[in-house]
Formats: sequence, C-alpha cells, structure tokens
Amino acid sequence: MLNRTMLLTLLACPVWLLFAGQAALANEPYRELDRPRAYTPDVKGDARFSDTYRYWKDRSRLDPAMAGNPDEYWKLNWKFMDPPFNQAIHGGHFAMDHGETRFMSLNRTHSFARCLGAGKQGLKGLRAGYPRYVARLGRVAGLEEMIEHCAAKEGVVMQNGSYDNSAVALYIASHSNGMPIRIQVSKGPMRQAFERGRLLYHTRSGRQNFACASCHVHNTGKHLRGNNITTPFGDASHYPVYRTRYELQSLHLRMIECQLDTGAQPLLPGSRAYTDLEVFLTALSNGYPVAVPTERD
Amino acid sequence: MRNLLSFALIGLALVLPAQAQQMAPGFPGDAAVDLGQEKKTLKPRVVPNSGRLEWMPAERDLTSWTTLSHLDQRDARRPQRVTLEEPLAGNPMRGRDIAMAKSRGNCVACHELPGDPWPGTVGNSLLNYQRRGMSDARVYQQIYDARIFNPQTVMPPYGTNNLLNEQELRDLVAYLQNLE
Repeated sequence: MLNRTMLLTLLACPVWLLFAGQAALANEPYRELDRPRAYTPDVKGDARFSDTYRYWKDRSRLDPAMAGNPDEYWKLNWKFMDPPFNQAIHGGHFAMDHGETRFMSLNRTHSFARCLGAGKQGLKGLRAGYPRYVARLGRVAGLEEMIEHCAAKEGVVMQNGSYDNSAVALYIASHSNGMPIRIQVSKGPMRQAFERGRLLYHTRSGRQNFACASCHVHNTGKHLRGNNITTPFGDASHYPVYRTRYELQSLHLRMIECQLDTGAQPLLPGSRAYTDLEVFLTALSNGYPVAVPTERD
Repeated sequence: MRNLLSFALIGLALVLPAQAQQMAPGFPGDAAVDLGQEKKTLKPRVVPNSGRLEWMPAERDLTSWTTLSHLDQRDARRPQRVTLEEPLAGNPMRGRDIAMAKSRGNCVACHELPGDPWPGTVGNSLLNYQRRGMSDARVYQQIYDARIFNPQTVMPPYGTNNLLNEQELRDLVAYLQNLE
C-alpha cells in the first residue's frame, strides 16, 4: 500500500505519468495517453524529432524543388505558404487591413493597447510574447483571449475566434514580423500550462480515440491518404491564418477543426485546455520568427 | 437591482438542471454544444467583418465520447475483448464500401487497399490480406478493439466506440478475408 507521503509525492510530480500508459488515479476519470515524451521548448528541438527543421529554418531559403515534390514537400512544414516564398495576395492581407481599422478605432485613448500589455515599444514584439500569465485575470491567456477581454473594456464585442478578433490579432502580429517567438515556460503558471498542454497533446479523446500525438508525434512523415503528417514544432508562428476554406482562423479555431476532423467533441475558443495546448505549441515555436499574413489550404 | 439578480439566479437554477439532465454526468461545461439541437455538437463559422462567432450544427453528434476538457469527468471506454459468433455471415461487397467511405470505415486513410490511388501508410498495407491466414475471430477483434493486442495502437476501436455496428464489422472481415 502507498503511504501518505509517497502518495503526495506522486501527486505533486506529474512526471510519473510518463511511466504510465494510462492515467489511473482513483478519483480521475479513465484516460489513455499515447506514449508521452519530453520536449525541448524551442523550435530547434525538432532536430531530435522530425529532423525537418533544417529545411524550413530560414523561410527565405526554402528549396523550390522540395516544395514541388510530392514526397518531399512535407519536410518544408508548409512554410512555402508563408512570405517571402509565397508572394500571393490573399484574404489574410485584407483581414490585416480590416484589423488595422478596428484596432485604430478601439485604441483612440491608447487604453486598448495598454490593456494588451503594450509598453514603450508599442505593438512591436507583443505577439511574440503571447500566451502569457496575466496577473489581473489570474490565469494564462492567449492574445485572442486578451483582445476579447480588452475590447469588452472599450465596450466592443470581439469574441475569441470571430473575424474581427483574429483580424486585430493579425494586425498586432504583423508588428512582430521577423521577430522570434519567445515565451518562458520554465517556471510558475506558464510551466504548469506547458506541462498540462504536453499531456493533453498525448491524451486520447473522441470517437476514434486519437491523441494529437497519435499522428503528429508517432507517425510524422507518413501518409494519411494524400497528406503527409508534419511536425508540431514551428507551427504556432503564423496564426491567425487565412484558410482558403474557412476564412480567417485563430489557433483555437484550428484546434476545433482538428477535433472535428478526428471525431472529437470540440471545446470553446479560450477554454483552459486549448490555452494549455496553445502554450505547449507556442513553446515548440520558441526561436522561430513570426510571419503574417499567411495562408494555408 | 438585488431583486433583479435574484430573479436571474432563480431563472438560471431552473434552466441549468433541465439542460444537465440531457447530458451524461461529468459532461464538460466548456464544450461547443447546443443541447437544443438534435446533433448537439457545434462547429464555428467565421463571419467576415463581424465581432461575433457564429455556430452551426456539426455533421455528427460527438458528445458521447470524451473530450480534452479539464472539466470532463466521464471515463473513456476501456479496451473490450469480444467473441465472434460463427458463422461470419459478412458481405465482402458491402465491406468494401465501408472500407472506402470516408464517413464510415475510412480504412484507406491509413491502410493500402486495392483500387485506391492514394493509400495511407500509417497502418500496414492490407493488400493480399487473405494470405496472412488470420482467423475471422482474430480479424474481428482487431477491428472491434485492437488495443487487446497492442495497448498503444493508433487504430480506432470501431466496435467499442460504436463507430460501426456488428454487421458492418462482419462485412469488413469478409472483405479483408477475401482479398487475394
């Protein structure tokens, strides 16, 4: 039998889940984890993961031959859709213009930008430091959640995931273009969010019993019909993104789409679980530059 | 003001339990659902130049399986061992349709099957499956719930999770066992 001290140690140390295929705490609901592993919270961690980072490390030096090769394109992690490789004008540009207009009207007294955490540098670098712990909310929040929160203080409805919200996020992100994502997940609530996000990434759910990791960790590079599965590293640096099928899409809406595609009940944008996943995924983009506006199929 | 608040709270108290009755205990409060809809599960629709996110019914009701919500207190379905009652009585032609259809078996998403130009490579190729000499019962269990053989399998438990019914599973077994 476990004595009290041992039990407390186990509970305090989530690492024990690494060694258990299944979460089996007596009071916790039954869940299956798909082979959790450790992650370096930096885009360079992909070198020991899918080892494709070297191909998409520098967006201005992508190999056009790889982009056009059905067996190789996935190794570019879709960065051939990003500027400067992709010079097309698309819906993301119009959304960014719309975002600028909406931002200007919200920020007449500068209180909106201040609420979002803009300092002397203005909007520069703001996107690269989200998600972050927001003391006055007492929780970790993504940029889109903060836009909704700060717009409400200006008396404007800008729901998380709405076109206006993502458009403003896109405009703000454009001031971080070329700047590497930099979020700290080494201590405090951000570390806890990263750790929860890491486990969620490996938690099975839905009718097909898939975890994100079932495909994007354990089957990277393989075919799902005509599509090759890509790495989770360096994927959070281009949101919100213009989707040719879905208009403007925030990262949380992307998660909803992933869940619907794999037969799992989606959650609301801004839910704690999605925010934890956002922290985890953004940390895997640490060191990789923001590039907006961009598009995906 | 205080009276108004009390009325609102009483109103909520009347509405919420009624909704809760429709869902299994432990269903999370942050799931995208409309309990008034037949399919309950919602998908978002981004409306250009709007500050509001619209929601519409998804193609399928997904509320009976677990979610990623921290608030979800329901158990996931555990691996299930089954016995196939002989005879198999499966129809290979129907089985083929199920294997190819995206909304049903969608086996070709991961496996190679004859006649599909873009096979997946996540699972083994199923070409010439008959040559493996598997028993019907073994194949039936593999599709019903493959976790019995490999707890880490990525293959969905088609029987345990009610993705396909018993006859559809029998049709699939008949199809695979006839792939020469």
